[in-house]
Amino acid sequence: MNKPPTGDKFITRREFITMLTGLGASLGVAAVLSDLDSLNDFIQQELAIDLREGPLEEKHHTKGKHRWGMVIDLGKCIGCKYCVYACQAVNDVPDDMRWNVYLLDETESGEIFHMTRPCLHCQDAPCVAVCPVQATYVRDDGIVMMDYDVCIGCRYCQVACPYGARSFNWGKRTAASGYQEAWGSAEVERRPRGVAEKCTFCVHRIDRGIPLGLTPGIDRAATPACVNICPVKARVFGDLNDPNSPISQVIASHPTFRLREELGTEPNVYYIPPEGMVL
Amino acid sequence: MTTITAPTSTEQPVSGTHSVFRLWIGFLLGLLIIGMVSAASVLWNGLEVTNLTNQVPWGLWITVDLSAIALGAGAFSLSAVAYLLRVESFRKIARMAVFVGLVGYTSAMLALAMDIGRPDRFWHPVLYWNIHSVLWEVTMCVILYSTVLVVEFAPILMESKIISKRYPKAPRIGHIIHQFAPLAAMVGLGLSLLHQSSLGATYGVLVARPIWFKPSLPVMFILSAVAAGVTFTLGVTIFYENLVRARQISDKLRRQLAMLAGLTMLGYLYLKLWDFLATSYYSHLPSRVEDLDLLNRIAPYGSSFWIIEVLLGGLVPAIILLTPTLRAQDKWIVAAALLAVIGVVVNRWNVTLSGLIVPLDWSPGVAEVLHVNSYRPNWTEWGVGIGVLGYGLMALTLGLRFLPMFPHNDH
Repeated sequence: MNKPPTGDKFITRREFITMLTGLGASLGVAAVLSDLDSLNDFIQQELAIDLREGPLEEKHHTKGKHRWGMVIDLGKCIGCKYCVYACQAVNDVPDDMRWNVYLLDETESGEIFHMTRPCLHCQDAPCVAVCPVQATYVRDDGIVMMDYDVCIGCRYCQVACPYGARSFNWGKRTAASGYQEAWGSAEVERRPRGVAEKCTFCVHRIDRGIPLGLTPGIDRAATPACVNICPVKARVFGDLNDPNSPISQVIASHPTFRLREELGTEPNVYYIPPEGMVL
Repeated sequence: MTTITAPTSTEQPVSGTHSVFRLWIGFLLGLLIIGMVSAASVLWNGLEVTNLTNQVPWGLWITVDLSAIALGAGAFSLSAVAYLLRVESFRKIARMAVFVGLVGYTSAMLALAMDIGRPDRFWHPVLYWNIHSVLWEVTMCVILYSTVLVVEFAPILMESKIISKRYPKAPRIGHIIHQFAPLAAMVGLGLSLLHQSSLGATYGVLVARPIWFKPSLPVMFILSAVAAGVTFTLGVTIFYENLVRARQISDKLRRQLAMLAGLTMLGYLYLKLWDFLATSYYSHLPSRVEDLDLLNRIAPYGSSFWIIEVLLGGLVPAIILLTPTLRAQDKWIVAAALLAVIGVVVNRWNVTLSGLIVPLDWSPGVAEVLHVNSYRPNWTEWGVGIGVLGYGLMALTLGLRFLPMFPHNDH
C-alpha cells in the first residue's frame, strides 16, 4: 500500500482557519438540531417505548378500558391464610409452591402484622422486560400474563422480579393439591414441567365473567378466589380506571403504599398500612 | 521414554506418546460418560434433580456457560488484531483462537441446553422476539457469532487431511472461504462486543437486586473475557508446543500475546478496583452497607472475591505475562493460563451467586423474615459440568491432534 508521505505535510494557516470555521458551523447546526421539535419528538417517542403496550398483536391497541388492581388492608388482616389456601386450590398450585405468599412481619414500633403478597401485576414489570421470548407480558387491562406454551424456562424473570413472585416448575406434577376439596377445586390447567408461573389475578374468572355482564370485584364469580374467601374483607379487587369502583373509593379514602415503589415498577396492588406503621 | 521425532508437520503424532494419548482419551471418555448419565437424569426427571431453587434459580451451569463464552473471547479479539488491525504476526495464532472459541461457544451451548427448563424450545428466541430483553440480544448474538466461528473454522477443516484426502477440492474451497476472513473478523468483532458485554448486562440491568448486580458489569465482563480468553489461547498453544516438542509461534508473537493479555488484565483490575471503591467502599448508602455486611458474613463470596478472583486469578497472571523472564518460560505461561481460567470461573460464580443469595426485601416490615439463600451444586449438577468440561477437552484434543492449526506457509 502506498501511503502518502507525511513528513512535510504540516497544517497551513488556511487549513487551520477552515477547520475552526467548520467546527463552529457544526456546533451551530448541532445546536439548531437539538432545538428542532420534530427531531425531539422522534427521540421522545423512542425513549417512551412502553412495555405496557403488550406483545405482538396487542401492540397497536390503545390502553384498555379497565385496569384491574387489588388493595390489601394490613390493618384488617388477621393472618388466617385462607387467601393462600383458596389460591392453592383454585389455581391448582403445587403444595411446595406459593402464588400468594404469607409472612409474619413487624413494624418499627414492634407491632406484628400479617403480610400477604400475590403477584403485584406491575405496569412496568421487570419480568416482562427481561423475558427473551415474550412469554410474559402486560395485558391492556393491566394483568401480567404468562404464556406457558412459549416459555423456555430460562428463569430470568425469576431473577429479575423484585418481589420474588415467580415460581418455576422444577419437576413434573404428580400429586394433587392438598388444599383441594376443602378450599375449592381446580379451575385452570396444570402447568407443564420446565416453565415459570405466578399469580394471575384469577384471570380465567375475569375473562369468563365480563362477557356475561359480571363486574370483577363485585360479582363473586368474576373475582379472584383470595378476595372472595377473606373473612374480614381485607382484600378488595376491582377496576382502578373506574373512579366509582369499590377499590378506587378505598384508595381515595385511605392512605396506601405499594411495595418497593422506588423502583418505579408501578404495581397494581396497593397496601393499607397496619397500625403503627408510618408511611 | 518418549522417542521424540521432530515433526515435519504438526499433524504428525509423536509415536512414543501413543499410549499416553490413549489413556488421556480414555479419561476424557470417562468424563463424557459421567456427563451423559447426569444429563439423562436431568432430561428425564427435570430440573428438580438439581439444587437450584426459586430463590437461587441460576447456579453452576450458568457459571460454566458464562466462563466458556469468556474463554472463547480470544477468537474475536485475536481475529480482529490479525485481520482488522492487520498485525501480520497475529495471523499465526488466529486459527488456534478461532478453534478455541468454537470449542468454548459449543460448550456454553451444551451447558445452556441443560439449564433451560424446556430444551425442546431452545429455538423460541429466534421466532418470538422481545427486543427489550438483554437476554434475547445475547441469544441472537451468540447464534449469529457461532455461525461466524463456523465460517472461520471451515478452512481449517477443509485443509485437514481427513477431509482433503476424500475431497481433493476441499482445500481450494477452504481457501476461498478464507478470503472472507477480514469480513468475518469484522462481523465477529461487532457481535462479540455486543454479547460478551450484554452477558454482564444480563445481571447489570437488574436494579432490584443488590450489590454485585450493577451497571458496570457489561464492561467488566468483556474486559475479563478478553484478558482470560487471550491468556487461555496462549496457554493452550504453549502447552501444545510442549506436547509436540516443536515451537509453533515466534518469540515475538508470544511476547505480543502476553503483553496484550497482561495489559488487558491490568486494565480490567484497575477498573474493578474503582468499581468497588465507587459503588461500595466510598458509598455509604445504609442499605448498601447492610448488603455488603450480609455478603461478608457469608464467607465464600467475601474471600473468594479478593483472594481467588482478584489476586490469584487476576494480578498474578498479569504479573507473569508482563514479566519478560517469567513469560519466557513455558511453565509460567501455562500456570498463568490456568490461573486466568480459575479467575474468570470464580468471577462468574461470584457475580451470579452473590446477587442471588441476598434475599429480596419486599415486605414493608422490619423483621428479618427472609433468610439468606444458600446454594451448593449437587452431584447431578457437577456431573453435567464435568461432562461439558470433558466435551471441551475432547474437542481441543482431537482438534490439535488432527487439524492443521499452525500451517507452515500461511500466505
